[in-house]
Amino acid sequence: GIVKDKATDLPIGGVSILIENTNKGTITDFDGNYNLQLDDNDPKNIVISYLGYKTQILAIPLNGRLDVVLEEDVTSLTAVNLTVGYGSMKKDDMTGSADLVTTKDFNPGPVQSPQQLITGKVAGVTVTSGSGAPGDKQNIVIRGVGSLSLSSAPLIVLDGIPLSDSTVGGARDVLNTINPNDVESMVVLKDASATSIYGSRGANGVILITTKRGKNGAFKFSYNTMTSVATPFQKADVLGADEFRQLVTSLTKSADIAKLGSANTDWQDQIYQTAFGQQHDFSALGSFLNTPMRFSVGYSDQDGILKTDNFKRTTASLNLSPSFFEDHLKIEINGRGNYTENFFANRGAISSASDFDPTQSVYDPNSIFDGYYAWTGTNGYQLNLVPTNPVALLNLVSDSAEVRRFIGNTKVDYKLHFFPDVTATLNAGVDMANSNGRKVTSASIPTSDTSFDGSRTEYINESTNTLLDFYLTYQKDFDKHGINLVGGYSFQKFDVDNYNYDSEKEQNGNDFEFIDKNRNTLLSYFGRLNYDFDGKYLLTATLRADASSKLNPDNRWGLFSSFAAAWNIHKESFLEGNQNINELKLRLGYGEVGNVNGLGDYLFLTRYSGSQSTANYQFGSQYYQTYRPNPVNTNLRWEVGRTYNAGIDYAFFNRKISGSLNVYLKETQDLIANTVVDPFTNFGNRIDANIGDMENKGIEFSINWKTVSTETLKVNLGYNIAYNNNQVTRLPDQQFVGGISGGTGNNVQTHIEGAAPFSYLVYQQLYDTNGKPIEGAYVDRDHNGVINDKDKYLYKNPYANVTMGFNTSIQYRSIDFNMVTRASLGNYVYNNVSSSKGYANRLNETSILNNINRGYFTTEFKEMTQSNLLSDHYVENASFFKIDNITLGYTLPKVFEKVKIRLYSSVQNVLTITDYSGIDPEVNLGIDNNLYPRPRTYVFGLNVNF
Amino acid sequence: CTNELDQSPIDPDSFTEKNVFSNVENVKSALAKVYASLVLTGQSGPAGDADIQGIDEGTSQFSRMLFYMNELTTDHAVVGWGDPGLPDLHEMSWSSSNTLTEAMYYRLAQVVSFSNSFIVNATPLNDDVEVQYYIAEARFLRAYAYYNLLDLYGAVPITTTISTELPLQMTRKQVFEFVEGELLDVQNLLKDSGANEYGRVDKVAAWALLSRLYLNAEVYINENKYNECVTFSEKVINSSYIINTIDANSNGTAYDELFLADNDSNGAQNEFIFALNFDGLNSQTYAGTTFLIHASIGGTMDPADFGVNGGWFGLRTTKTLVQKFSSSVTGSDSGGDPIAWSDTRAMFYTDGQNLEITTIANEFTDGYAVTKFKNVDSNGAPGSDATGNFTDTDLPMIRLAEIYLNYAEATVRGGAGSIGTAVDLMNELRERAYGNQSGNIVSGDLDISFIMNERSRELYWEGFRRTDLIRNNQFTESSYLWPFKGGVAQGIGVGKFRDNFPFPTNIILTNPNIEQNNKY
Repeated sequence: GIVKDKATDLPIGGVSILIENTNKGTITDFDGNYNLQLDDNDPKNIVISYLGYKTQILAIPLNGRLDVVLEEDVTSLTAVNLTVGYGSMKKDDMTGSADLVTTKDFNPGPVQSPQQLITGKVAGVTVTSGSGAPGDKQNIVIRGVGSLSLSSAPLIVLDGIPLSDSTVGGARDVLNTINPNDVESMVVLKDASATSIYGSRGANGVILITTKRGKNGAFKFSYNTMTSVATPFQKADVLGADEFRQLVTSLTKSADIAKLGSANTDWQDQIYQTAFGQQHDFSALGSFLNTPMRFSVGYSDQDGILKTDNFKRTTASLNLSPSFFEDHLKIEINGRGNYTENFFANRGAISSASDFDPTQSVYDPNSIFDGYYAWTGTNGYQLNLVPTNPVALLNLVSDSAEVRRFIGNTKVDYKLHFFPDVTATLNAGVDMANSNGRKVTSASIPTSDTSFDGSRTEYINESTNTLLDFYLTYQKDFDKHGINLVGGYSFQKFDVDNYNYDSEKEQNGNDFEFIDKNRNTLLSYFGRLNYDFDGKYLLTATLRADASSKLNPDNRWGLFSSFAAAWNIHKESFLEGNQNINELKLRLGYGEVGNVNGLGDYLFLTRYSGSQSTANYQFGSQYYQTYRPNPVNTNLRWEVGRTYNAGIDYAFFNRKISGSLNVYLKETQDLIANTVVDPFTNFGNRIDANIGDMENKGIEFSINWKTVSTETLKVNLGYNIAYNNNQVTRLPDQQFVGGISGGTGNNVQTHIEGAAPFSYLVYQQLYDTNGKPIEGAYVDRDHNGVINDKDKYLYKNPYANVTMGFNTSIQYRSIDFNMVTRASLGNYVYNNVSSSKGYANRLNETSILNNINRGYFTTEFKEMTQSNLLSDHYVENASFFKIDNITLGYTLPKVFEKVKIRLYSSVQNVLTITDYSGIDPEVNLGIDNNLYPRPRTYVFGLNVNF
Repeated sequence: CTNELDQSPIDPDSFTEKNVFSNVENVKSALAKVYASLVLTGQSGPAGDADIQGIDEGTSQFSRMLFYMNELTTDHAVVGWGDPGLPDLHEMSWSSSNTLTEAMYYRLAQVVSFSNSFIVNATPLNDDVEVQYYIAEARFLRAYAYYNLLDLYGAVPITTTISTELPLQMTRKQVFEFVEGELLDVQNLLKDSGANEYGRVDKVAAWALLSRLYLNAEVYINENKYNECVTFSEKVINSSYIINTIDANSNGTAYDELFLADNDSNGAQNEFIFALNFDGLNSQTYAGTTFLIHASIGGTMDPADFGVNGGWFGLRTTKTLVQKFSSSVTGSDSGGDPIAWSDTRAMFYTDGQNLEITTIANEFTDGYAVTKFKNVDSNGAPGSDATGNFTDTDLPMIRLAEIYLNYAEATVRGGAGSIGTAVDLMNELRERAYGNQSGNIVSGDLDISFIMNERSRELYWEGFRRTDLIRNNQFTESSYLWPFKGGVAQGIGVGKFRDNFPFPTNIILTNPNIEQNNKY
């Protein structure tokens, strides 16, 4: 038969056709056709179901052919079962704030880490890539930074396994070992009433990643491939060779002018390249021996635009989900193995390329350093404190690592035979990562060290995270009352075992060994009650007791609870059946979550550290290892986040318009921060202690509008906007953070009571009548006639007040178009490139010639003093609008039966509009210091499904 | 799995109190940390796993910060770097948030905590006589830390136990008496003069520090103790320590040997009563003499002459120090600026350097460079670190020459010493400096002004200058000026309150018992 949509009369692929009360069945192909073999003993009804449509149960006709017309179920989109932690729930029945992003909404393009799939898609969630390197770290922040010293990253739960948030050495990002093509959906839980069931690790929000799994029916195959071309298009703004010659000649002494070379070298052209990448994924999904399964393999190989940078990944995954005893026993087995090979380009070349004198050649036949030009002294060796030839830095340092990771779990759900309202669930999982890396510096690299014989660092890092969950679920409806009760236990153990050695030779020899091991455990008991009355009034209460081995036994346990209520107004009689108001839900919630993520281990114990062999001390003629007592804090307690959330979910006009609105207040109390302690009372001047409070408050709004929805044309627009205000509300001492280059140990940011964390602390520049900054002239803010650090003031912070995402997707016949854009308003960036490299003295500092940043022409500063570095002139408004991605796809007319082919092309990093003067306004933590530029990437891809 | 919540360190480099204080050998390693906390910056060497947080690790070392606070604030030194808080020191505009004056407070308080913990934990093992000496040495080091706290900050709190209770502030007099009492105590508990191994202190260190303490008593407690200064100086002078006269590199003077890479064995060690031991391979830091040597090199200086791989283009001196050597000038350049001296302590690099300073920041060639510290041994060979990064040169914190000068000054200021002896002691130093008797003085030359200048000549860049100027009412006053004093090219006086450094703002915030020094 064939299955069609009632409204459009178009065939529907992927519809599940199941013989009633069995596991036998199939799914429709892309043209809606299906074919099912029946035995005489089989029941005579089939169940036809598809997400978003009303399920039908029909008798099998005698002639064997059954065409079905499915009707869209307007309420069913909210009936999707969302994984919410220790169970799943219909969105309609949820009381907390959850955003679901599924495959069809994922960002297209060369995505290396699953986080990138949702960049710009969810209000209040920012994803910032660390740099333009392939597979590089993606920083996710949900509803603002929630902690000062601890981690502000959300908990990521992959198929029920809370992942460890630390990476092993040699891995670029914690998630890039997961093939984004395996991801089925991502749910972002934002408020504490939703996250609190995850307890301590969910303090900064939770991202639940569900991977694709097997389905009943014949096997379907899918093959995706793409080729990408990444082009460097942003370069640091330094002087060209001729311009440099002119400036050196006009500003410096004759001895320096004589140092000018005759070459014209654009050092940045020397280090960047057009980078190619490719990606192949194959997956099979279906059932075998009555066991639904999915299998996938993937391979990707991506070069970086910085020469010698490369990221390769091979992944394989298997999912089995058999069920037994008429679904009383369900087993789910997931296993995924990943192998990544990383070649890390030496990023020192980026800074060096903007420093290096453009009048010198890359090569010098007289150079003793493999022919690379270097600034040398009389002995032929490189001078101290001068930039090293960037091309030599790339070619003579080899830094690579292989990372293996296995994530697997087995989940067993058993619905008790004698009491089917109760399900017992056991989930055992493991997340193991292991890396082998090495960094080898050639003996011929330009150096001032006349005895340099190369160097080699090797490391083996292992991290193992094991999980055991056991819980019982009781679900029962009594008349109009529905109850869902979950109670359970969870245990997690995190082990880190790092080994590395340094050698002062290219090959082994003269070794220094280092071993670093630690372990922590987390144990929890949890319970959750969901109650609903008639589907209209919903209540959720959770209670979770967490204990962490990081805290001393007296303060180890924390008890955290949450309460939430929701009202499905649209189900009230006065709105029921109203086609213009399909959904209107009001939610209110409050929840507490503890946090110790990122806190060091054993901090409550007095520990002594032995010195390394280079920090021993001489008595007589012997060198003794020294033992140092380390700072200790026996009073560490849980940092507690409390969130108040109020929200509305809405859908109007036959769900043409839908979305949600949330208002929240998130308070972090007993904030753990690295704070000053009187060193007369401890073994150091700083300890991690519960000292402060912080507050995030904001509003989030999202709307999806199906502008046009006809048979030939579909236009969907999605827009989200979030406002967040972040403030440290209590902090007894001021903390200086945000280390910059220029001088030694300068910080440009601070945490202080009453301001946003990471606020800039700078001098207020004075300008002349032409608007040019006057060198060394700052506002004497305390009016004492002296300019010193008391005259610094708080000026802006790196976090945007307002972030927006705007997505367009258009489908016209077989052509699809997708555009993802983002905007960020009110984020400021400290331009460290301009401040540390844009002054005249730099031209001939340390007896050689250095290129300078073009920022010099704005300031014409002569010197780099501490106050010049910390001038507010360098704190720039970095608000931006970006077109992240444009994709155009075309689905081929049918060539073969049952084969669907789609071709597409996409461009990433299409456009940035900003006033910021540096190369990219999007800088994690707000200090722009030789950012690895994000390339513009062109992708050509092909999807084949059969 | 509830038992699994009790985790203890599994790292092989992590130890518990029980491990460390289990036997005498381990106790010695714990003592080594009390010493090393004045010498190195952390457990990794040269950097990583720092003792002090919130400041560049290489800057956080005791003698480097002492240089910044006691030399850079004076006519002896300027620096061209834009490190946080650094330019404010020579300009005398530091605030209570100054990173350096803050970190020094932490460093010294930490030495106190390390010592306290050591003393408490080692005491149960003190039936071993060697452990008794260890404990006495820890008490000396604690007193030394307190002496510096007294000199730099004044009325600091005193703790002698390990407690998280916030300590109470003492008066400056109480701190003085504590240091005095401890030193008087441990002089009887430490090993005899010369009986300890190199790098560890004996009785003479206690006497020598008492001599220094009493010399400055008028500043600290408004009471003169010149008689006591003379008494303890004499004890030191009569001990087994001697002024080094071995001219190991045969360049005509035995003075420069004090600051060479082999100064733990070339004869200089006989003059060192308390020295910080550095080693290019085993005790690495970006501070100490590694800092003093690298930071002093720039311009046209050849780093190889100093046994290192390069200069850091930082430290120079003002003409005011150079002028202290005016009477021994033997050569001048075309502009009339001196370039050669018969006093071999005038160790300046003048080629391409301007005597007059017009710009301090990033302009190494303004001001003479100083060549006093070197990482070459008496044979001219570089130190043990072949890379030329880290130096072997030890840094004397107390050496006999200072005590000679203390004796002379206390005597001239009215202490019960002998002027004749004082003149002889001065001439002993000057004969070494000149290589002959041409620079000798007679009793009529010996006055306060001479001794102040002689201290400059003998001890410059060794961490004394600010203390000396304060004792002579010249540090903040407008009666004595040097280039860029107070941030003005020709120099200007600043508030007298700057004789003491402020308590760190963060300490004032965390410990309500502490009252900030006046006017900060």
